[in-house]
Amino acid sequence: MTFAGKNNSSKNVYTRTDVRIIGFGNKYRSDDGIGIRVVEELEKLDFFKNIEIIDGGTSGTDLIFLIKGCGKLIIIDAIDAGQNTGDVVNIKADDIEEFIKKDYKRFSLHDLNLSDILKLIKALKIDTNISIIGVKPKSIDFGDKLSQEIEKKIPEIISIIKKEINI
Amino acid sequence: MANNLNIEESPVSRLEGHGDLILDVKNKKIKKLIFRIPESPRFFEAMLVGRKYDEPSHISSRICGICSVAHTCASIKATEKALDIKPSKQTINLRKLIYHHENIQSNVLHVYFLAAPDFFGVGSVVPLAETHPEVVNIALRTKKMANDMVRIIGGRAVHPVRTVVGGFTKLPTKEEMIKMKEMLKSCYPDLEKSLEVLKTLDIPDFKRETEYISISDTSDYALYDGKIKSTDGWEIDDQNYLDKINEKVVQYSTAKHCWASRDAFMVGALARFNNNHDKLTDNAKKYAEELGLKAPCYNTFMNNIAQFVEIVQSVDDSIRLIDEILEEGLDEDKAMAEIKPKAGRGAGVVEAPRGLLIHDYTYNDKGRVEKANLIIPTGMNYANIEKDMHALVPAIIDKSEDEIKLACEMLIRAYDPCISCSTHFLNVKLVNK
Repeated sequence: MTFAGKNNSSKNVYTRTDVRIIGFGNKYRSDDGIGIRVVEELEKLDFFKNIEIIDGGTSGTDLIFLIKGCGKLIIIDAIDAGQNTGDVVNIKADDIEEFIKKDYKRFSLHDLNLSDILKLIKALKIDTNISIIGVKPKSIDFGDKLSQEIEKKIPEIISIIKKEINI
Repeated sequence: MANNLNIEESPVSRLEGHGDLILDVKNKKIKKLIFRIPESPRFFEAMLVGRKYDEPSHISSRICGICSVAHTCASIKATEKALDIKPSKQTINLRKLIYHHENIQSNVLHVYFLAAPDFFGVGSVVPLAETHPEVVNIALRTKKMANDMVRIIGGRAVHPVRTVVGGFTKLPTKEEMIKMKEMLKSCYPDLEKSLEVLKTLDIPDFKRETEYISISDTSDYALYDGKIKSTDGWEIDDQNYLDKINEKVVQYSTAKHCWASRDAFMVGALARFNNNHDKLTDNAKKYAEELGLKAPCYNTFMNNIAQFVEIVQSVDDSIRLIDEILEEGLDEDKAMAEIKPKAGRGAGVVEAPRGLLIHDYTYNDKGRVEKANLIIPTGMNYANIEKDMHALVPAIIDKSEDEIKLACEMLIRAYDPCISCSTHFLNVKLVNK
């Protein structure tokens, strides 16, 4: 499932070294850890060398600091945007406004939620180029493994990230 | 005027960690008042069982993004006590230093982002950024500084990786220590500006004396280490916490209620201030005085002010610690203590930003966890929150329903309960009977 953007182009011109990828979530709450698990996989791949990859854990407010100084930020997280369990959503930069309005659910963040952080970023007039890749989890019970249905989505997510980088 | 009220927050999925407030008032008398958080059962304890001694601190650090250093340090201290590991003074000083900055990270978030919007009469930090951008920018600068400090010492801004059982896997350099001192000094103008803003806030006039419990130490304003002390006059070794702190299950919540000398007690910044105010730096004492914070303080709403005073304290004491560490010289040989797995039990007791935090582990002779018990500060405050509400609601019953709702929200938020609960706390349904 892809959010239908008016166009898929990013707002700014950027190079690979301007890209930042951040996974959020709690890796000890089953599928909530999908963002962290994807980050761990990206770190093994040659394609992502020279790209800053960050394990954001469960500290959402820090997104404000991570945005500054990067040409494009890609967030990976467990998100319920009304899709089916296991489905991947790709909320592109041009659709962030819609994401903010709908207050979609992000799961375990012990902090301000993602929608509020994005609203705050907008209120502070911080220029951004963010896209979000979210997966609806099957389980967020305590546990250090992803559900099989979610684990097998990792290649699809990585493929979307490569398209998002588009360099 | 509200003779009859029925406030019931719609049950919210436990996934989001929201709290429920159920308040039923008839003829100005409380018939039912329950505060409950449908907190997840504490599977973390079960997850620690069977783990090798070097694993629990890393797992614990992921319990919470806001309290990751506190959980890490409580876990490390429990393991070191159980395995009889003696960290160096250098290690303890560096832990105290990183600890200050989690306290700043968390207190900044609560004072400026969560509590301040109430006092400024705006719904959340988002409109606050429009109406008072200078306040939000001060908060962001201070939090960024604290993040950078945690990153330099712990290797990451959250969930630190260098802080391990026995010491540190990597030490900051002398140059980094000097840089951190400069970063700290640059905070003072923002603290002064914040002081002027906070002086203008109209803190609700509310008093209910209760028991205040925190750790306490003879040498400093304790966050990392100390005995457990109560304003009711007792002080115990932290290993004997079960002698005083009791837990009971209440039917309406998955979270347990705690009590000690009375039927409820409070933990957090106000409890720390009430027990340890004489250990504040002179500068932090000055800020407390200018903000009207005097011990003993029985106004829960002043917890927000105590949190701000602690930010000043943490900046002041960090500079002192850096000077001490630099004077003694960073020594790689003291970075890690010797570790020999053995059977034993130990409790790690610290002050998380929102109060007393206890990890208690029992290890077998292979150095693997056999039993784990975690008592979190938000859980310790539940019973006291209910007692406060019982005192507050009758005192404001003649106000409008909206004012009552807001006052209840502000009171609960003043405790700085786990943030996911407090940001969206009370999507209240209020129905007059």
